[in-house]
Amino acid sequence: MTSTSHRPGSSASPLTGRAARARPGGSPDRKGDPQPPARGRIAGDGFWPWLFVSPLVAGISVFYFWPVLQTAFYSLTDWGVFGGWTFAGVENYVALFADPSLYLSLGNTLLYTAIVLLGIPIAVYLASLLNLPGLRFAGLYRVLFFLPYVAMPTAVAMVWRVIFNGDFGLLNHALALVGIDGPYWISTPGAATVAVAIVGLWSSLGFSLIVLAAGLKNIPPEMYEAAELDGASRSRQFRSITVPLLTPSIFFVTIVTVISSFQVFDLLYAILGSSNPVLPRSMSLVYFFYREGFVTNDKGYAAAIAMVIFLIIGIVTAVQFRLQKRWVQSD
Amino acid sequence: MSPSFPSPARRGIAALAGVAGLALALSGCSGGGGAGGGSGEYTAPEDDLSAKITYGVWDQNQVPAIQENIDAFNEEYPDVDVTVNVTPYAEYWTKLQTQASSDTLPDLFWMNGPNIGLYGSNGQLEPITGAVDAGDIDLANYPEALVDLYNIDDVQYGVPKDFDTIGIWANKALFEQAGVPLPEGDWTWQEFQDTAAAISSALSAQGIYGGAGGMDGQTTYYNTIFQAGGSVIDGDTSGYDTPEAQAGIQFWTDLIASGGSPSIQQLTDTTGDQWFTSGKLAMYWGGSWFRSAITDTDLAANVTVLPLPTGEEQATVIHGVSNVVSAASKNKQAAQALQVFLASEDAQQQQGDAGAVIPAFTGTQSAFTESLPDANLQVFLDAADYAEPLPVSKNSAAWNAAETELLPQAFSGQRPVAEVAEELAEQMNAALAEE
Amino acid sequence: MTDRTTFVSTRNAGAVPAPAAGRGVPATTPRAGRPRRGRRGGNHVVAHIVLGFGGLIMAFPFLWQIIMSLSTNIEVQSVTPVFWPAELQWDNYVRVFERLPFFSQLQTSIAVTVIRTVAQIFFCTLAGYAFARMRFRGRGVLLALVLSILMVPSQVYLLSQYQLVQGFGLLDSLAGLVLPGLFSAFGTFLMRTAFLAMPAELEEAARLDGANPFQIFWKVMLPLARPTISVLAITTVLWSWNELLWPLVVTTFSDRMPLSAGLATLIGDRTTDYPVVMAASLLAMAPVLIMFIVLQRRVIDGLASSGLK
Repeated sequence: MTSTSHRPGSSASPLTGRAARARPGGSPDRKGDPQPPARGRIAGDGFWPWLFVSPLVAGISVFYFWPVLQTAFYSLTDWGVFGGWTFAGVENYVALFADPSLYLSLGNTLLYTAIVLLGIPIAVYLASLLNLPGLRFAGLYRVLFFLPYVAMPTAVAMVWRVIFNGDFGLLNHALALVGIDGPYWISTPGAATVAVAIVGLWSSLGFSLIVLAAGLKNIPPEMYEAAELDGASRSRQFRSITVPLLTPSIFFVTIVTVISSFQVFDLLYAILGSSNPVLPRSMSLVYFFYREGFVTNDKGYAAAIAMVIFLIIGIVTAVQFRLQKRWVQSD
Repeated sequence: MSPSFPSPARRGIAALAGVAGLALALSGCSGGGGAGGGSGEYTAPEDDLSAKITYGVWDQNQVPAIQENIDAFNEEYPDVDVTVNVTPYAEYWTKLQTQASSDTLPDLFWMNGPNIGLYGSNGQLEPITGAVDAGDIDLANYPEALVDLYNIDDVQYGVPKDFDTIGIWANKALFEQAGVPLPEGDWTWQEFQDTAAAISSALSAQGIYGGAGGMDGQTTYYNTIFQAGGSVIDGDTSGYDTPEAQAGIQFWTDLIASGGSPSIQQLTDTTGDQWFTSGKLAMYWGGSWFRSAITDTDLAANVTVLPLPTGEEQATVIHGVSNVVSAASKNKQAAQALQVFLASEDAQQQQGDAGAVIPAFTGTQSAFTESLPDANLQVFLDAADYAEPLPVSKNSAAWNAAETELLPQAFSGQRPVAEVAEELAEQMNAALAEE
Repeated sequence: MTDRTTFVSTRNAGAVPAPAAGRGVPATTPRAGRPRRGRRGGNHVVAHIVLGFGGLIMAFPFLWQIIMSLSTNIEVQSVTPVFWPAELQWDNYVRVFERLPFFSQLQTSIAVTVIRTVAQIFFCTLAGYAFARMRFRGRGVLLALVLSILMVPSQVYLLSQYQLVQGFGLLDSLAGLVLPGLFSAFGTFLMRTAFLAMPAELEEAARLDGANPFQIFWKVMLPLARPTISVLAITTVLWSWNELLWPLVVTTFSDRMPLSAGLATLIGDRTTDYPVVMAASLLAMAPVLIMFIVLQRRVIDGLASSGLK
């Protein structure tokens, strides 16, 4: 077999059963269409692409892009609580960039995201354990790890509040056993963000684990065998084979985790509670948006916050994509 | 294929956005809302009125009682179909604002003190002047302080459907255990402080406290501010920069400092009512609504209610929910008919008997006091006589947030009360000025 | 015995197609077979300890939730945690059915989730394929447009979407509930990446046989993308099942709400019956959990064996 890989045993054309004659270049095909480039793009398909793409693009434009445009517009106005607007130029943005709450919430969100991202190396390790050959109860473990992802946030938050309770909670109890005097998690500014982040990590681990475990299964055992024959130790194999080959999945999981962590809101609200004195100091970017929009009722300002959030996440994602070339192995 | 954002695309997006924005601006986006407010006219509709109306509420616990009311209402208006829509309190206002922005508010819905200003002054509500003039609603039947609460710029938008006041829920068993006599009748601030400290020190080995502060103004510091002769909001300005208000705050700082109360941190983690229901708190400053949390529990046998202590004056905070009609409602007649019905003595008596709340109509509250006969619940009813309404403004949430942020520093003794109060007054005045 | 077929794919062993690697990487790998590391069997003890401990931490809050659902309200709120109630309060579960139109709401949840999942799979695979494999003007612009949606938090859309749905007259209807969620930028992105990673040869072969693009898509590419579609399905199901704010805002009648919203209404104003909330939450979680348990083997193995990117 040559270097092109394909589905095992099937080199026949699915439609007609005839053997495929892959012709990356050369003579024009019988339809007389321009020769497709080697990468396999079908060029100039007329109206077909539009047919494929329009339902989705139409839906997204109407229900998502239009609201974004509306928001962008309103961020330049003084938007009344129940409608009605007056143009205000960049006033909202000027006020926003001078508002310490913006930087505070950005900092909290970054801290939260950083802690939740710690879940990824943990997930890599756990996935490798889950993948050990002949591991019994693997299915059970998978279900257990996936549980938090399935849960309804409200109830879960309540349980975690009890666990984090400063005087009587289990966490401080356990810490006391090893001699650490645990803080009042929910009512101390920095600790509160950490507490919420721990729950965030706990609930997102399952998804990362599943994705990474599946990725691991794709690493052909021959690689490990070859390395074993060369005398590489287990940890060496892990470092040189497993991790590098897993980088595309890790990248995917990272992107998804970062985007969703930057938007944390429900969890924060549910665990800390709306009348918590540390909430103003522990709020996330989206909570800041919500507070300005629906509590303080300055909707124009809130729209500006939304645009800034958009910008921040966009920049972070773009940076990740650029960096990706450096560390993600792709063919 | 390069995964990074292609710059031609960026330009494309910018162009799209620009065009769309221009189109928006030119078309003068209406965005709904800005209802012009109702005229308040009212005539009792005919019995064969046919309509479908929605009734927005936020408390599932009250739905059975409401359903009874609606069944009685349907006896008079059999063709009016009422749908009760429960939205949990946390999301209620978000939903209401969303609905208001496109004129799809429920026909009849609950309103409270902190939000009446916003909706009333923006023309979202239908006044009840017509019903009052026609004699179908008599304002004298409800606590005066609350009736005033729902009067914005001299227009009355609703009457209270229930009320709650604040009292001290006391655990008799803990008093006995600590060897401290139960107070009789009215008592002073100093007596309260001494009692709380005594119980705390007697039972400190079990981690039991005598009293508890907390960040819920309605049950704690608003009351003491009024009792000291001060006020939280005075017309358009904050009352926090007065010595009376500061004395009201100092009350709690002293209580925490003397050990009579858990610290603010402890109280944030575990709220006062939890301390009380777990038997770790002897005196809980709580609302009359707390009764439903302890009925049918073991605790109920040991509970009695004490009046709040007197500072310079006797005072408590009163608040109640009101039914209001949307100005943009398409079924105004039916909604108003329901509003009038719910404010009537019969409906209020039903509410009282069902036991979920204290009805506002004078004389219908007997069921409340009888629900825990040994607990002296009459204290809550008597308190209505010396009560002050919950302090609110057109956008209360803005300065409520400042209170939540700054006051813990005063309570914990971290900063002097006067300093914190001055800063709070400043922030509050800034927020009020923007209204 | 290992399958001695090609090794090129080894360089691309990753799981779900990562957004980056669009290098025509084959979507299939040789059958991985059983990884031949059986010699290291002894380490299973360590694995079991770590996984067991981790599993316990994952599951612990749920165990406690179960205990809470069988306690009284006072026990749940007790300052010192109650680990085992004095009496098991099974009637909390009965009360869930009294307080909520559970089965109507369950039906709504199922309907909404199924419709959305099917729709998303349909729209996103179509669009993803087009973005990956077809050339047309404005492709880059449209793609960036779709991607940019991901960067805005969902609360931003609330008011606008509400006004749109209300404008269409779809408030309080299944259509209104479902509508915005039929379209997903994330799903499109995911499918695009999957399709990018597939070999060109099959498509070309099909073209040579005279298939039109839709046939190529339907018969050739789509089956190859099954594992990624599984991932899309799982994420959509879970997100849709637990979605709270939108259903609350868009529905008025409690029997037209999905379970997630119905659950939230149990939270009272001043007093909440927490054990009933816990019980309801467990009951609401059950269908999805059962689905996952039943399908997990298929999903994982499917994800792995027929080759995600």
